[in-house]
Amino acid sequence: MKILIIEDEQALAQDIVAYLSEQNYICEIAGTYQEAAEKIGIYTYDCILLDLMLPGGNGMDLLSLLKQENIETGIIIISAKNATEDIVQGLRIGADDYLAKPFHHSELSARIHSVIRRKQFNNSNVIQQNEIKIDLLGKTVTVNNQEITLTPKEFNLLLFFIGNKNKVLSKGAIAEHLSGDLADMFDNYDFIYAHVKNLKKKLQEAGSNNYLKTVYGTGYKWEI
Amino acid sequence: MSKLLSKPFKAFSIYALIILAASIPVYYWVVDHIWKSELDEHNLIIKERIEKNATNERFDIQQIEAVLDIWNALEPGARLYPVPATAVRPDSIYTIYRKRDFGSDKQIDRFRGLSSFLTVHGKTYHLEIETNIEETEEIILAIAIVTTFFFLMLVVGFIILNRNISQRIWSPFRKTLEKLQAFDLTANQELHLGSSEIEEFSALNSAIDKLIENNISVFNEQRRFLENASHELQTPLAILKSKIDLLLQTKDITQDQSQLLNDIEIPMARVSRISKNLLLLAKIENKQFQDTTQISIADIVNESLDLLIEYLEDKKLILTENITPGVKVSANKFLLETLINNLLINAIRHTPANGQITINLFNNSLEIKNTGTAPLDAEKLFKRFAISSKDSINSGLGLAIVKEITLRYQWKIIYSFKDEMHRFSVEF
Repeated sequence: MKILIIEDEQALAQDIVAYLSEQNYICEIAGTYQEAAEKIGIYTYDCILLDLMLPGGNGMDLLSLLKQENIETGIIIISAKNATEDIVQGLRIGADDYLAKPFHHSELSARIHSVIRRKQFNNSNVIQQNEIKIDLLGKTVTVNNQEITLTPKEFNLLLFFIGNKNKVLSKGAIAEHLSGDLADMFDNYDFIYAHVKNLKKKLQEAGSNNYLKTVYGTGYKWEI
Repeated sequence: MSKLLSKPFKAFSIYALIILAASIPVYYWVVDHIWKSELDEHNLIIKERIEKNATNERFDIQQIEAVLDIWNALEPGARLYPVPATAVRPDSIYTIYRKRDFGSDKQIDRFRGLSSFLTVHGKTYHLEIETNIEETEEIILAIAIVTTFFFLMLVVGFIILNRNISQRIWSPFRKTLEKLQAFDLTANQELHLGSSEIEEFSALNSAIDKLIENNISVFNEQRRFLENASHELQTPLAILKSKIDLLLQTKDITQDQSQLLNDIEIPMARVSRISKNLLLLAKIENKQFQDTTQISIADIVNESLDLLIEYLEDKKLILTENITPGVKVSANKFLLETLINNLLINAIRHTPANGQITINLFNNSLEIKNTGTAPLDAEKLFKRFAISSKDSINSGLGLAIVKEITLRYQWKIIYSFKDEMHRFSVEF
């Protein structure tokens, strides 16, 4: 899976690369408008992370360029510009998702995971991981072909973990994933514990291995 | 406070009073003088006629002597009586007061007299002619009455003129004042006072125009600064967050270290929220989020509750909802979501564990109540960063944003405290 990170902030781009590389993505960085335009012209990517504020041009123009060439690439806008106008415009031009800075890498990783799935599997989307099978369309989960019933939040949480295999997910990141921007208004993420506990219990009762590990003091990890 | 025009009015009236009062003795003096000189002339004419007729040999001395007594008794204005030749003096004029010794009232009359000596047939006579003249007090009284009458006329005239002039002349001033009173710097309005035919008002208007223009530009500058500053914060924050994320993933991290990282996340989230909220405030102030749609309030409340339900459950709060379905408002969806989220988050955050939260949605008002102990300072509540909170996460901007959104749509936000409940009510 190839990912192009169009981001002028070198430090941030490097960090994203560091996080995603471990997820077996191949990452490239473009720091300017020209650089990005060249790379898009030459190579194809599975997913492009696009910052709207770029030296040498506007990210929106790159988006139009991509769409003109009808490239079947998942595009996620990452920008400090978190105005709804920009989101609406970006999504209208053809971006698949939008993530406002600052974000957790785990959130980005989950979004990339979901965008690539949607694009490449034509929405007939089933994720198989050992004994666990997730039907994204039907929103059902089976363990060893035995269906288990998850609440929407637990289903969401499971996808988030699978999109961030072997990563430590802080409670903050999980809370933010579940309640969006509202999460950082609270200083207590204890409610996550209940969701994780329920998810873990349901999976294990159906005979799944224990992939969900607690990382003391920090959060959780989907270990595989 | 007195009106501007009543100041000169008072001064004018006092000045007119002084002048008119001072004019009374002057008038008296002039009238009295004219009167006296006229009477003196009159007396002189009489004297000359008597002298001419008495001395022109038509009557002999016996005839004159014979009628003199009768004449003196009957003729009130003149007396002629013989005197020794040694008593002759030059003619003189005088004023004399005499008590009336006839009639019913014994009043005192004033007379203007002429004393003269004439020689008839070698005999010396003293001629006294006296003519009644108006008394001093009577003249003064008459003049005073007339003067007072005119003074009152002046005052009434001043009042009427004053009113008319003030209505006409000050109308451009009043227009300017009305516009200034209606002006709201934060509302992004422009103010053009225009020019007036009157030089002073024209100068005033252009000075105010200039002042306000400066204010608007400083205000806009400040808004832009706020927007840019909070914008600039986003990238370093993003890097910081990303570094912490990466650090968490390092293999040989100790428990203490991971606890430290966890502790950093909370203030980080706060900075991030403050900067996002500042940016949001600046954007609302700058009139962004213009597209409006008809939105069901109940839908937004439910969506918001969906996201917040964990926090409610976590604190074991009791939620009561009385929601009238189908209530719609015309607003920007994002702003309405923000408004409702902020109010709900506010309620959840500040309600003690096991407390109560009530959401009431009526036809044109949304009411969110939560358990509390003491009323809050309603003045400061909606100001930015006004509440010094012990909480580490509060950005102090949630309610300021709520206020800003209600201002945008001319809704009303009211805070009250009753029955141990904080109550925030938005009237659409």
